[in-house]
Amino acid sequence: MANNPSPAKVDLIASAVKGFSHPIWAARADRLQSASGVLLGLFIIMHLHFESSILLGKETFYRVVQLLEGGMFNSTGHGYPIVTKVFSVFILLVVITHAVVALRRFPAQIGQWHALRGHLKGIRHKDTHAWFWQLITGFILFFLVPVHLFTMILNPEIGPNLSAERVYLDNVWVLYALLLPAVVVHALIGLYRVAIKWGLVSQRKVLRQVVKVLIVYLLCLGIASLVAYILIGTELTIPVQPFSPH
Amino acid sequence: MTQGRTLTFNIFRYDPQEANDKPKMVQYQIAETPGMTVFIALNKLREEQDTSLQFDFVCRAGICGSCAMVINGFPTLACRTLTAKYPKGEITLMPLPGFELIGDLSVNTGKFMRELAERLQLWLHPKSDDIDVHRLEDPMDPEEAARLYELERCVECGVCVSACATKQMRDTFVGAVGMMKIARFEMDSRDGRTAEDFYHVIGNQDGVFGCMTLLGCQDNCPKDLPHMQQIAYLRRKMAMTLV
Ligand code: HEM
Ligand code: SF4
Ligand code: FES
Repeated sequence: MANNPSPAKVDLIASAVKGFSHPIWAARADRLQSASGVLLGLFIIMHLHFESSILLGKETFYRVVQLLEGGMFNSTGHGYPIVTKVFSVFILLVVITHAVVALRRFPAQIGQWHALRGHLKGIRHKDTHAWFWQLITGFILFFLVPVHLFTMILNPEIGPNLSAERVYLDNVWVLYALLLPAVVVHALIGLYRVAIKWGLVSQRKVLRQVVKVLIVYLLCLGIASLVAYILIGTELTIPVQPFSPH
Repeated sequence: MTQGRTLTFNIFRYDPQEANDKPKMVQYQIAETPGMTVFIALNKLREEQDTSLQFDFVCRAGICGSCAMVINGFPTLACRTLTAKYPKGEITLMPLPGFELIGDLSVNTGKFMRELAERLQLWLHPKSDDIDVHRLEDPMDPEEAARLYELERCVECGVCVSACATKQMRDTFVGAVGMMKIARFEMDSRDGRTAEDFYHVIGNQDGVFGCMTLLGCQDNCPKDLPHMQQIAYLRRKMAMTLV
């Protein structure tokens, strides 16, 4: 059969080569940025709650983990760590998508950075400063989030004692202490912005208050649970035994 | 209570026309009078202390948009800013950033607005069957007229351009004033342009998808135009065009 590509195919290739410069990608990238941001933002709010169930005791945390790892599909009630692995890969893909589209917003040229600094100094405007912090925290997350996700992909054992071992004995609390404020600030300012930019909320003042309260609440929740893991960590005996319910 | 105060003005001075001039801040003192605006104070300063001081005004009533400048970190109209607003009596004046500087506090917003209008074609494009000048125009629905009028109130002062970090970082970005005017024609039932036509003008990184929703425009516009709502509307509209 003839190998000549059909005209339609040529068109398709041509448009693929022209690729992302086509104006339709401006709309797609904007939607993708908001969609991935919302997905990650809602995920982090849930994640912080699940993770901090340690505050209700080892037993509760253990049950939450087993449930989320698909324990209901297992007659023994035990979950499968592979679930954590697969889910972490999924989140990593979302983060990569988000970072690729969000990187367009970074002031890539030195002149743009100077313009931004000059503007922040000369013009007093709260939302612009909030965006600046989102930019900075986004930059920090770019390096820290993959570290956390790779740990969960390579070494997904989660449990009251195993997690505390990681946090305290392996010193990962340093990572979490940096990740927590960065992700909470970034995600909540981001969710605020998504709601405003698409016109989903018109009560901006109210939304701003809600976001502030949520930032403080999530930071407290995160810090309290981190302290709880550290305290458990100090009481662990080596070699660390996985927690088992009575 | 405001009577009898002495105000201190720190004013940006620079004349690009003069070869040896360098940008600097110059301090002036002036006695406050009741109901004084920054515009009145500037005129007094020019009359009594320094005739070389450059700044623009025409209407002194918030209508012409010529007197915009950055007052203590907020871009706004000098003729609508009372000095009584500043309890410390210290007022720093800078020219609007992002525009060609004519001298001191005077910037060329007119040139900017004209180029923008030409680039975005900010005039009514009648429907093709509606070019007969002898035909009477159809009456407009009063609600539509009111909505158009709301956006027509823009005085082209340039505040929203100076208040926008996105615009300051990316020179080619159309800025809020451009988008507000596009929104105005998009709403106008007499305009023949389709959503796709508008997409070609603002459906890109220099248009509505380049806007990062920092809202400096919304928060500083002296005419309180609804930027947040209108830009969100355009964003939704453009995101649904050419899906
Ligand atoms: C990998 C690191 C990340 C980088 C480099 C990054 C970068 C950015 C930047 C620069 C923006 C601002 C875009 C704009 O103003 O238009 C942004 C927006 C946003 N980010 Fe991130 N981010 C990262 C991770 C995350 C994570 C982990 C979350 C959630 C927990 C998140 C949630 C959001 C949200 C909700 C927005 C608002 C989206 C929008 O305005 O449409 N980001 N991100
Ligand atoms: S939209 Fe408001 S701030 Fe912008 S030019 Fe018009 S009046 Fe000035
Ligand atoms: S002088 Fe006309 S708006 Fe101020």
